[in-house]
Amino acid sequence: MHEWTLAEAIVESLNSFVEQNGRKKVLEVEILYGEMMELDTDILSYAIEELVKGTVLEGAKFSLKEEKALFKCNACGATWDFETAHKMLSHEFGILEEPSGARESPLHFIPDLAQALLKCPRCGSRDFEAISGKGIRVARMVLER
Amino acid sequence: MTTDRDILFERGRRNLSRIGRIITIAAGKGGVGKSVVAASLALTLGERGKNVGLLDLDVHGPSIPDILHARGEIVASKEGLKPLSVHGIKVMSTGMLIGDNPLPTKGEDKRNIISFLVGLTNWGNLDYLIIDLPPGTGDETIWVLRALRGLKNVGVLVVTTPSILAVSVVRRLLSMLEDEKIRVIGIVENMAYFNCEGKVYRPFGRFSEELVRRFKLRVIASLPIDPSLEQTIYDGGLPHRSSEELKSAFYRLCEVVESSWGE
Repeated sequence: MHEWTLAEAIVESLNSFVEQNGRKKVLEVEILYGEMMELDTDILSYAIEELVKGTVLEGAKFSLKEEKALFKCNACGATWDFETAHKMLSHEFGILEEPSGARESPLHFIPDLAQALLKCPRCGSRDFEAISGKGIRVARMVLER
Repeated sequence: MTTDRDILFERGRRNLSRIGRIITIAAGKGGVGKSVVAASLALTLGERGKNVGLLDLDVHGPSIPDILHARGEIVASKEGLKPLSVHGIKVMSTGMLIGDNPLPTKGEDKRNIISFLVGLTNWGNLDYLIIDLPPGTGDETIWVLRALRGLKNVGVLVVTTPSILAVSVVRRLLSMLEDEKIRVIGIVENMAYFNCEGKVYRPFGRFSEELVRRFKLRVIASLPIDPSLEQTIYDGGLPHRSSEELKSAFYRLCEVVESSWGE
């Protein structure tokens, strides 16, 4: 359910950006989010749709694109994808989602905690990089001239 | 067009700007008791009837959950992550998300952790947020300086021992805070003295008067070395109640802190 909080963060940031640039209308927005966040895009889209009402963003076409996650070990050079990482995720730590009661990995909320929650599947080192697939950002925006 | 805006950082800054007052606990050096002071200040303010949050930003070595015996899982809702309610205050720490696991991370990744943590946490209405920083002037401190820059509701407490070894480190920290125009409420001199058979001993001497003059600051609290503090925490007690002397010292510190905002 933190999709609502993320939607608020996106809408507040874009509204402020558009206002600062003296524009009146936004036509398109492309949001790029990391696979590690495991976002429910239906909820995120709905939340954005609700939150833009009455703002300069109302009517803009929002597209959500997922960036695949890739990890690389600095110790042994192994690379792996999110499917592999997901299988290794410890269930020791979790965040409880309301109202569903589901227990999600903290990685879902804060992807940069990866080094605390994962290890290299080949050598077991935590000295690895999450090369891609972790954050959320506005990749592209089209404003009315 | 593209935008390089960091939407979670912006969200975090907005969240902080809505809080009544923010007290950042900073120390140049490690091991000076900064987290114990942060936790004790938060608990004492809570006992004085304030709505208080405590944010542990020591990403590599979060000790707040241990100091407060804060157990339980964080809950997420439509409004964001709910900090854990412990002993009348709200607490958020990466320690509650990763336990004792090591977190070998650096630079932008570390700043992203803080942006997500602060951006997603829903504190509700707070009179005070206490931010516990790790030692040094690394990524966590940089994040906080950037987020707090220009906000009017901010003050820093610099915690140090009176040791001469701490002086140069504290000087660097104070210089940086001066450059960034962040208000320093004062110096908290921790582990300043102990009483033995009615006589006061100051094993580390007194905090540098030269530094106090140079930065036009005050030593607003001198906290004793409390031999029972470690055992109190080990036994599940709270640090600010370890001894009557410490309890009184934190009450006086709260009064000074509150009056620094003209209260």
